[in-house]
Amino acid sequence: MKTLLKGGRLLDPSQDLDIIGDLLIENDQIVEMNGQQRLEKGDTTIDCTGLWVCPGLIDLHVHLREPGFEHKETISTGTQAAAAGGFTTICCMPNTDPPLDKRAIIEYVVTRAASSESGGIFVAPIGAVARGMGSEHLAEIASMKEAGIVAVSDDAAPIQDAEMMHQAMQYCKMLDLPIATHCEELSLTRGGAMNEGAVSAVLGLKGMPRTAEDIQVARNCVLSISTGCRLHVCHVSTWGAVETIRKAKSLGAPVTAEVTPHHLILTDDAIDGFDTNCKMNPPLRTQKDVDALREALADGTIDCIATDHAPHSQHEKQLPFSDAPFGIVGLESAVGLILTHLTHTGLLSPLQTIRAMSTAPAEAFALAGGTLIPGELPAAQITIIDPDLEWTFDVRKTFSKSRNSPFHGWQLRGKPVMTIWGDEVYRDGVMDARVSTQ
Amino acid sequence: MSLLDIRSLQRSEIETYIREAIKYRNACTSGEPVPQVSGTVCLLFFETSTRTRASFESAARKLGLHGSFVAPATSSIQKGESIRDTVVTLDYAGVDCLVIRHPSPGAPHQAAEVFDGGVVNAGDGCHEHPTQALADLLTIISRKGTVEGLTVAIVGDIVHSRVARSNAWCLTKMGARVRFVGPRTLLPKDCSLLPVETCDNLAAGLSDADVVMALRLQRERMNGYDLGGLAEYTQRFQINRESLKLAKEDVLVMHPGPINRGVELDDFAADSTFSAIHNQVENGIYVRMAVLANEFDKLRGDA
Repeated sequence: MKTLLKGGRLLDPSQDLDIIGDLLIENDQIVEMNGQQRLEKGDTTIDCTGLWVCPGLIDLHVHLREPGFEHKETISTGTQAAAAGGFTTICCMPNTDPPLDKRAIIEYVVTRAASSESGGIFVAPIGAVARGMGSEHLAEIASMKEAGIVAVSDDAAPIQDAEMMHQAMQYCKMLDLPIATHCEELSLTRGGAMNEGAVSAVLGLKGMPRTAEDIQVARNCVLSISTGCRLHVCHVSTWGAVETIRKAKSLGAPVTAEVTPHHLILTDDAIDGFDTNCKMNPPLRTQKDVDALREALADGTIDCIATDHAPHSQHEKQLPFSDAPFGIVGLESAVGLILTHLTHTGLLSPLQTIRAMSTAPAEAFALAGGTLIPGELPAAQITIIDPDLEWTFDVRKTFSKSRNSPFHGWQLRGKPVMTIWGDEVYRDGVMDARVSTQ
Repeated sequence: MSLLDIRSLQRSEIETYIREAIKYRNACTSGEPVPQVSGTVCLLFFETSTRTRASFESAARKLGLHGSFVAPATSSIQKGESIRDTVVTLDYAGVDCLVIRHPSPGAPHQAAEVFDGGVVNAGDGCHEHPTQALADLLTIISRKGTVEGLTVAIVGDIVHSRVARSNAWCLTKMGARVRFVGPRTLLPKDCSLLPVETCDNLAAGLSDADVVMALRLQRERMNGYDLGGLAEYTQRFQINRESLKLAKEDVLVMHPGPINRGVELDDFAADSTFSAIHNQVENGIYVRMAVLANEFDKLRGDA
C-alpha cells in the first residue's frame, strides 16, 4: 500500500530544495519524489495543497523526566507531546532519577520509548557526562554509546572543573560523540532566580549574570578547539555567548549551538508580575540578547532551534518565585511560536526554519533524519505543517503531563498537522490509534 | 484592595494613606477615641521580625481588630504545606486580611491571587516593604514639612534592601530626589529601571542631602567577597558626626532598624536631635493603622 503526499510545498534543506511536488511513501519509506509511479486501488492520497511537507522535526533538548519524575512527564506522554508538536526524533536529557549514566538505564529508556505506549517517534537518549550527574567521575560513556546514546551532556549539573571537562572531551573525541554543555559558572549564579539586570534590581530577585554563561561558553569553546571534540552549546541566551561561538566557528572549531523559542521571543520583562512560568535556566535575558540570538540564527552562527522542554507539575511551579523550579514545556508550542514570530516576520525563510528544526539538529548529533531523499533513512520521517493555520495555544489541551508554559493563550499562525514516522503517527490533534489506545 | 508594593501605587493613593495616618496619629496622641474597625487580621510571617510584627500588632489592637500571628516554626508550613494552601485555609478560617512577610520576592502577590480579602506586604525578600516606606515618608513630612524637592541619600547595603526599593518609589512619586549610596558591591548592578541616581562615594552621595537614610548591613545575606572588611566599610560609609558635615546643616538622619551601632551609624548620628529614628517607629504604627483600616473599608465596600 502506498501513500501519496500530493501537491505540498516540499522543503528539504538537505538538498536545498523548495518546490511544489509530490512525495510517495511505500512500506514506511519515502520511495519517490515527483515520480512517475501510478497509484493503485487501496492506495491513499493526501492532499497537501498549501501545506509544507518537511523532513521530520528534531528536538535535541527534551526532558522526559522518566525514570524518577513521572509526576511531571513520562516517556509515553512526552513522546506523544513531541509527535503532536511535529517532532519525529527527540533527544532526552540525562537528569532523571536515577540519571542516564549507565548502559542499563539507557537500555531501559530505549525500550520504553519503542514500546506501544509511546508516541511512535524516535527517542535518542543523551547520556550523563558524569557518573551520578555532578560527581567528579566520568560515566561509562563508551558502554552507553553501545546502548544508543547520541551525545553526552552536563545539563542541570554543569561541569565546573576545567580539567574534568577537558578529559571528558578527550574521551568523547575518541568515541566520536558530541558533548552538549549547559554553560553556567555556578559561583556566579548561586541562589539566582532570573537574569541579573535592571528588572532583577527592581524585583529584588537574586540575579544570574550573563557573565556566568559567557565564561563557560568561552571555556568550552577553547577546550573544543584544543581537543577537537564536537561541542554543542545548549540553549544559548546571551549576546556574549553568540560572539564567542561566532569566533570559535571562524577558527574552525567543531562547535554547534542551539537556541530555544522562549529565548528568541521573551525578555526578562515578562517576569514583572512574578509568573513562575517565566522562570527558566538560562534565564530570559534582554532585548539586546534577543536581537543577537535572532541574528545569529539567521546567519547560521546558531545552528538549531531546541525546545528545552522541561515539564514541572503545577504544585511545584506554584511555589514562590525564588523556590520554584526552572523550566517550561515547549514541544507543542515550538512550531507555532517560531513560524509566527520568526518565519512569517521574514527573519527566517521557510527553508531556514526547517533547517534549524530538522536538518541542522540531525547533523549536529549525526542522527538519521533531516532529509526527504528517497531511501536515505531507515523509515520515513515527515512533518506536515499548515503554515497559515491560526490557532490559540491552550496548554490545558496538550499531550504533555505538565502545564508550565508562559505562552498559554497566545495567538499563533502555523501548526503541525501531521507527523509521520514510517506511517502516520499524529494527525489534526489526534494520535494514531496504535498510540492513543493506551 | 491589597497593598503589595509601592511601585504600582499612584501618588494620590500614597497621599491618602498619609492623610489617614495623620488622622490616626492625632486621635491617638490627643486621647480621642480611635475609630474602630471590626474584623480579623492574620500576620503570616515566614521570616523573623520584631519591630514590624510589634508595629502591625499594635496597629491592629488600636483599631479594635482581632489579630492572630502565624509563624513557620509553629504552623503547618513546617509540615510542607505550600503558601497557596496556607492562604486558602486562612481564607476559609474567616481571616479578612492577611499581612505577609516572606523571604521570596512576589510571595504576597501570589498569595493575593488566591486570597479573597486584602493582602498587605510586610516585606518580601529584597523586593519591597511598603509600610516602612510610608512610615518613612510620614516621618520626613512631619519633620521637614514636605518631601517635595528634597534630596534623600539612602546609604549602605542597597542591593539586599527592600526598604531602599520601596522608599525609592515612594519618595520620588512624592517629588523627592533619591540617591543610592554604597560600595559598588552592595549596589544593584543596573539601576536603570529604578527612579534613582547611584553613587559609590559617600562624600558625593551626601552632598546637599536633606535626609540621610542609613541601612543595616545584612550580613546574613552577604558573603566574604562583598566588603574589604568591616573596619574599611565603617571608615568609608558610616554615617557619623564627621560624615554628616557633608550633608545639609539641618539634615535628618533615619534608619529602618535594627541598627548595628558602630557600623552604619555612630551614637551621635543615632541619638542626636538630627535623628528621626524613634519617629519612624511611632509613625510606623499610624501608617499601618491607615493601611489596615483601608483594607477593611474596602472589604465593607465590596459587601
